[in-house]
Amino acid sequence: MKRISLFTICFVIFIASWVFLRFVVGGFISVPIPSSVIAMYMALIFVAILVHVSVEDTRFSEFIRPIHETLVDENRKTRRIVLAVLIPILMLGYTYTNIAQKAIPAGDPRVAHPVPPSEFILTYKEKEIGTMQEVENPYRHYEKDSPEEFKSHIENGRRVYYDNCFYCHGDHLDGQGHLAHGFQPLPANFQDPGIIPNFQEAFFFWRISKGGPGLPNNGTPWNSAMPVWEEILTEEEIWDVILFLSHYTGYSYRPSGEAH
Amino acid sequence: MKIKMFTAFLVLLACGLGLIVLADNHEEEENNKLVFPKAYTTMKVSDGGKITGVVKFEGEVPKMKKLDINKDKVVCGKTDKYDESVVVGESMELKNTIVYLMDITKGKDFDAKANKPEIDQEGCKFTPHVQIVPVGVRLTMLNNAPITHNVHIFLNDADMGQDINKQQNRMLKKLRIKSIAEAGGPVEVKCDIHSWMKAWIAYVPHPYFAVTDEKGEFTLEDVPPGTYKLGYWHEACGTNNKEPQAVTVTAGGEVKQDFTLKLAE
Amino acid sequence: MRVTFFVLFLLFSSLFTVILVAYAQETPEVSERGKEVYEESCAHCHGIEGRGDGSAAENLLPRPRDFTGGVYKIRSTESGQLPTDQDLFDIITNGMPGSSMPEWESALSANDRWELVAYVKTFYSGFQELEETETTPRLINLTGKVKYSEKSVEIGKVLYTDLGCIECHGNVGRGDGTSAPTLVDVWDFRTWPANLTQGWTFRGGSSTEDIFKRFIGGIAGSPMPAFEGDTFYHFGLTPEESKNFALLEKKVENEEELTEEEQEEYDKLYEKWDTTVLAALDRAEGTELTPEAQKIYDNAMKDVFEKSWHLANYVKSLSPERRPKSAIGKNVLRSQYKEGDLPTLDDAEWGTLTSSYYPLVGQVIVESRQFNPTIDSVNVKSFYNDTEVAFLFTWDDRTNNTTVEETEDFGTSYIDGLAIQFPVKVPKGPTDEKPYFLWGGKKPVYLWQWMASEPESIKELTAKGINNAEEQEDQGTVQVNSEYKDGQYRLWVKRALKTEDKKDLQIEPTVFVPIAFSAWDGANGDVDTKRGISSWYTFVLEPVPSSRRFIYPPIVALLSLGLLVGLRQFVQRRNT
Repeated sequence: MKRISLFTICFVIFIASWVFLRFVVGGFISVPIPSSVIAMYMALIFVAILVHVSVEDTRFSEFIRPIHETLVDENRKTRRIVLAVLIPILMLGYTYTNIAQKAIPAGDPRVAHPVPPSEFILTYKEKEIGTMQEVENPYRHYEKDSPEEFKSHIENGRRVYYDNCFYCHGDHLDGQGHLAHGFQPLPANFQDPGIIPNFQEAFFFWRISKGGPGLPNNGTPWNSAMPVWEEILTEEEIWDVILFLSHYTGYSYRPSGEAH
Repeated sequence: MKIKMFTAFLVLLACGLGLIVLADNHEEEENNKLVFPKAYTTMKVSDGGKITGVVKFEGEVPKMKKLDINKDKVVCGKTDKYDESVVVGESMELKNTIVYLMDITKGKDFDAKANKPEIDQEGCKFTPHVQIVPVGVRLTMLNNAPITHNVHIFLNDADMGQDINKQQNRMLKKLRIKSIAEAGGPVEVKCDIHSWMKAWIAYVPHPYFAVTDEKGEFTLEDVPPGTYKLGYWHEACGTNNKEPQAVTVTAGGEVKQDFTLKLAE
Repeated sequence: MRVTFFVLFLLFSSLFTVILVAYAQETPEVSERGKEVYEESCAHCHGIEGRGDGSAAENLLPRPRDFTGGVYKIRSTESGQLPTDQDLFDIITNGMPGSSMPEWESALSANDRWELVAYVKTFYSGFQELEETETTPRLINLTGKVKYSEKSVEIGKVLYTDLGCIECHGNVGRGDGTSAPTLVDVWDFRTWPANLTQGWTFRGGSSTEDIFKRFIGGIAGSPMPAFEGDTFYHFGLTPEESKNFALLEKKVENEEELTEEEQEEYDKLYEKWDTTVLAALDRAEGTELTPEAQKIYDNAMKDVFEKSWHLANYVKSLSPERRPKSAIGKNVLRSQYKEGDLPTLDDAEWGTLTSSYYPLVGQVIVESRQFNPTIDSVNVKSFYNDTEVAFLFTWDDRTNNTTVEETEDFGTSYIDGLAIQFPVKVPKGPTDEKPYFLWGGKKPVYLWQWMASEPESIKELTAKGINNAEEQEDQGTVQVNSEYKDGQYRLWVKRALKTEDKKDLQIEPTVFVPIAFSAWDGANGDVDTKRGISSWYTFVLEPVPSSRRFIYPPIVALLSLGLLVGLRQFVQRRNT
């Protein structure tokens, strides 16, 4: 059996890495990777290959032998002609598509859940409630103290949610309400394990009461369709709906007092 | 001590009665429907009597609203049309009132005319405004103009099953509507295409039903001698289901019974 | 004394129990799990007792279904029949597009969904009666489907007019028929005929089979009738016979004398037609047909089904397979460069562009809110030249409302309109602050507001909030033209790229400009803040494709070839 040449191995590794980055990582596993990042990785791989083949003289000569042959060997004439046609055509196509490509607007560099400063004072309308670190849901303690009372708060939260929130955040709290498709950014998905467990109830109170316009600039407040709910809901209704969110999804909020 | 027991008795009695009332409170909604005998058998009536009368309206006569003919004006808008829910004559005679016997169990059969009920949609208006249809008999909808209608009968409102809704396209001059096996109604019939078109259909088990004419007059003929409850129904004035009028018919005789109706609250 | 009291108490409590038991027996056996799931997931809209009166119901249109009347719109069964369990299961599973009923496949297990079906059925006694009498609802016959083809679509199109679909659904299917503004459902709520060009809003799905089922079975509770066999012209006659019969009918109508042969033919055809209709009526009334009548009926229905498939194919042809992709990311609104005059409203040149789709949803942020918008989207195309830019905005609206009117059944109807929103100053780069998407805030927006009452003019507005807009003092020369036809507005707007007014947006090629929309459907009660809105999207004057794209690539190709040749020569020289 003929041994596969070192050049072919390196070539295959190079192409396979690109396919892996472009389609496997940036498709199956995760979202597409920007082409500039891929280019960076590919450059690294290229250098690594060069280093590998040039460590020993014999290995290097073995590596360049096929290239050498292709360029001058009389037996490799067909391959030479094919490459001489193929490479210019590929370069032609590549340059053309690059030049003709349409510019794409830069996306908003939006922080989906901007963290307020730790000394942040939580308010309802003008009324101060306490610092973001310390404030707890005033009805949370009923969960242990009075299951009956707790249930009535959950039920009130459910009512508040379906009277006000489900249009966008959805019946299943998955951010896919019947109005969701018209908004950018999309409404929050409370079924996402990265949402409720990562934030304190006080954080939710802040986001609900102040809505989109209450976001700091890195949260692109001008894009958010979240209303300023303190203008519509009572303080208790906001805390109740926060209870309902965790009740329905089964997730627990990050305990208060813990740093983010 | 005795008083205490008596009070307890009263309290418990009140509870019990309250529950009974709770258990069948749906009688209320039946007040705007016709009342039928449990069963009806036909027989030959040779010495029957006659019930006649005039239905009059009392109170301020609501102005008949002119209907907005917003479609197919060439055909439908030829003549002005008015809301026919309260049609009152010069001396307060009330048209379109059903007067009928509530509790007759034996009597004559339907005649040939009653067995061929029709509603005409000429000029985009249902004529008659109140139609009596015997149970098990098919109603025919007539349409002589090249206009598409739909016949939407709201049976479900009277718990008579699913509504009927059939398109009668402009090429269909006649459309027969399936018969209904059980008595009920009156139910509304509408044309959704021409939203102003509304009428009423009563599905009835016996022929002792009359609809008052322009003069407010009604006649029930060939009534076997006996005492009956005489009922009425009017779309805006309601019914006398709670206090039916008793009439006694003698062989070959004629009973006069007039009614005076007010708008239902 | 005590004893008597006790006895009395016992007596009454037993009476109490008897009544309770008797009362409870009226309601059929309840699936415990179904009840639990229902109360957790459905009751907030459909109500604890299934009356469609949950707390969220008030703001929804179509309203959540009232289960107590047994009226079900989406069925695979014939008119007058209840739905099958599978129908109910499918609706729960897939939801109802275009309404607020979501899919439950992702949220509930199949078992739970079946439990729900069982529980929902307990709200209406008719289901129990079916079970007791061991009858099953009659299914719509789906065999003999006619394959989609242009010819079938053509036939369907003719039927669409002949059968009277246009009365409600309009000439081209945008739900703008002349009866559309007056429709109410059996629950007395306003209802609109489906816009057949927006298949993604069909409640019961938009497959050809779905359309076929809605047509044959009707949509119970709505004004949509069932197109059963006997609602077709000359049901039971072949096209040839129908033609002959129509001629003879005409003669009879005109009181012309028929020849003996003609009379015979007339009687024969009348008899055939009548027998078929009678068979259909018998069937509808639940009478078992004789084998003979059944055969006549089945034969006649073949023709009806075929026609119905043609019609379904036509309706299917009216809308794209799914909701178009909204204009985000690569899909932004790109105004195309054109030398010379820009096309006017009716110019065929607009047909060369594909439009960008901007979904609209209800403004539910600020009072007064619109929870049930009727305008699905705005579609936009644009051209520009060296000095001007022209836009063509297209959106569907079932009614053309040009004045404020008090209607008897539906409250006040307002004026239709569209507003196009840009920032006054284009943000420099993505981190730069934009105005608030809802008509601005701290930062102002520049608006073009068009109202159907003045179709030939458009106002320039500056706004710093949805309730804080004012007309610009200096109304520039924005040219406008518009048309309302077959349930669709087309609005053409042209403006100079640069203006003198500091409050105007200045438009430069290649610069990405935020753009957003508001739309008012007057018949839907839209006025002021009550309207349909969009988020910020992006618009750009697409740079003229540079001629570099024809010059550089060949140079690069030649260079690479040269490089290869050079390399070979270098190697050869070294070898020698």
